[in-house]
Amino acid sequence: MSLTNDDNMSAHSQVSSHFFEDLLDSIIVDVASECHRVARLGLDRNFEEEEEELRLSAQARARVADSSNNGETNSKYVVDIFGQTHPPVANEIFECMNCGRSIVAGRFAPHLEKCMGKGRKARLKVTRSATAAQNRYTRGSPGSSYSSYSNSTGMNRLSNGASSGVAGEEYSNGSFEEL
Amino acid sequence: MSAKRSSINRPPTPDVDRDRENQEPTLQEIINIKMIESGEKERLKELLRERLIECGWRDEMKSLCRAYTRKKGRNNVTVDDLVHVITPKGRASVPDPVKAELLQRIRSFLASTAT
Repeated sequence: MSLTNDDNMSAHSQVSSHFFEDLLDSIIVDVASECHRVARLGLDRNFEEEEEELRLSAQARARVADSSNNGETNSKYVVDIFGQTHPPVANEIFECMNCGRSIVAGRFAPHLEKCMGKGRKARLKVTRSATAAQNRYTRGSPGSSYSSYSNSTGMNRLSNGASSGVAGEEYSNGSFEEL
Repeated sequence: MSAKRSSINRPPTPDVDRDRENQEPTLQEIINIKMIESGEKERLKELLRERLIECGWRDEMKSLCRAYTRKKGRNNVTVDDLVHVITPKGRASVPDPVKAELLQRIRSFLASTAT
């Protein structure tokens, strides 16, 4: 090809970008396909709970925003020695670092329980990318449930995504401590 | 699935109906074939996949899909729907360092196999 250097450069960067877009589209299709599978097979354990949680979260937010609350009858709504009052529902809104939803602080602990792994349901969660937090919790849990998690659901899920399988093995082999 | 998935994009055999392709394959096609044959395309795809998982992009896309699924009803979603849901945000939210790294790799591959 008798292109000048400049032509070569711009043709190259065009080809590169085009190729990158191609790779990205292919990965997008993969993600969509997996989400579709999870949706149709009902594999997302949190799915039914999400409605409930969003509702409770919104409720908590409404209670916080509602200035005409009946605080006098609530025993927690007292004035302390500095004259500060503490609202019955903690009014900060945080983003859960696990699932990314915005949760009112007052609902944060119950949410984390479900989301991060105290309960049976959370431990069975399959829609996980290779997050160290998840593996950390499975390591710390009782022997029997740990082995069943890692032998069946967990490891199978992790190794289905090509590179996430590698990362998952690494973390759960015991050396990775920090988040 | 749409006809966009041309991961095996060999020059078609010359065909009277398709005289557009009677000429030499385009640069794009040549590169694509070289990438696939050398295994580089697969490596790059895995690299990109890994980076996107690390930076949380995949989780974001999955949460978009979940939100859409909740709205539409679990059994009413199609793969096509989900692709359309995440493509615009997906393309836009690739972190710059990730994109730069991949482009760098692609360009050096091009340079090493420059015609």
